[in-house]
Amino acid sequence: MDKAENAYQMYSDYIDSTIISYNGPFDAQVLSVIAENIEYSLSNNPRVSKKIFKIFIELAQNISYYSAEKQKNEEGNFFGSGILMLREMVDHYSFSTGNIVEKHQVLPVIQKCETINMLDREKLRQYKRKLRNMPSGTPGGGNIGLVQVALTADYPLEYEVVTVDESTSFYILNVRVNKS
Amino acid sequence: MENLEIEGSHKNFFIPSVSFNAKTGICELSGESFLEDTVEFYKPLINWVEDYIELVHGPLALIIRLTYFNTSTSRSILDILNILKDYEESGGEVVINWHFDENDIDMEEDIDDYIIDTGLDINKIPF
Repeated sequence: MDKAENAYQMYSDYIDSTIISYNGPFDAQVLSVIAENIEYSLSNNPRVSKKIFKIFIELAQNISYYSAEKQKNEEGNFFGSGILMLREMVDHYSFSTGNIVEKHQVLPVIQKCETINMLDREKLRQYKRKLRNMPSGTPGGGNIGLVQVALTADYPLEYEVVTVDESTSFYILNVRVNKS
Repeated sequence: MENLEIEGSHKNFFIPSVSFNAKTGICELSGESFLEDTVEFYKPLINWVEDYIELVHGPLALIIRLTYFNTSTSRSILDILNILKDYEESGGEVVINWHFDENDIDMEEDIDDYIIDTGLDINKIPF
């Protein structure tokens, strides 16, 4: 590595900082605390704060409803659980979530991400309108949260699926929002 | 016919402020909308609009000043707009004014999507 690269690496490491990280059930209380944290941590940049907040709500609700791993919250009710991390990079914020999915959910999840990434903004808006006009809970339709996330983010969705055991996998989604 | 008033709040969930007036036909929806049970919350609003159309049959102005709503809310908003579209097509007088932060490009796009979706004339009012 030459000197310039070295210096850049140091700079990146310095600025690359985790703002929020969480692991556990996604119940209303947790959502509310994290939402407040986002508003507070990013209050100097309203554009980014709003975008990260919108992305957070949709992804957190997805985990809450669809994670294959359920955990009890303080009141003893079960909610989908997973991890969440918000990091500040040099020129963007990086928002990641991860949760357990059943093997049979892996393909639909990947297909949804791929479909979304294939579409340009206009086509993505069309897709969102189409899904929104279908009754919620319709197979293959229904959930428009992820489409909204892609419309709000400044980059394509980045995802990864890691095999946990023969019946489950870990689904990681990363979304980036530019600082300006 | 009674007015419908709901005080908004910003706690665990975000409840929008609702003020639907049966005398004037002015229906205001403002604040933020992220609810524990979206369908349950919007059901009385939809019922109110349907009752107003049936019983009062007067002009109806929907004033939206939402600064944030989640995707699940966006379905309920679409339901209300579709009812207003039907009302307009059957001769009802409908005005929709949607106020939004001029810096919020995503919100403006959302409004445009509703215009495309419903065919309604929605007045976009930046602030």
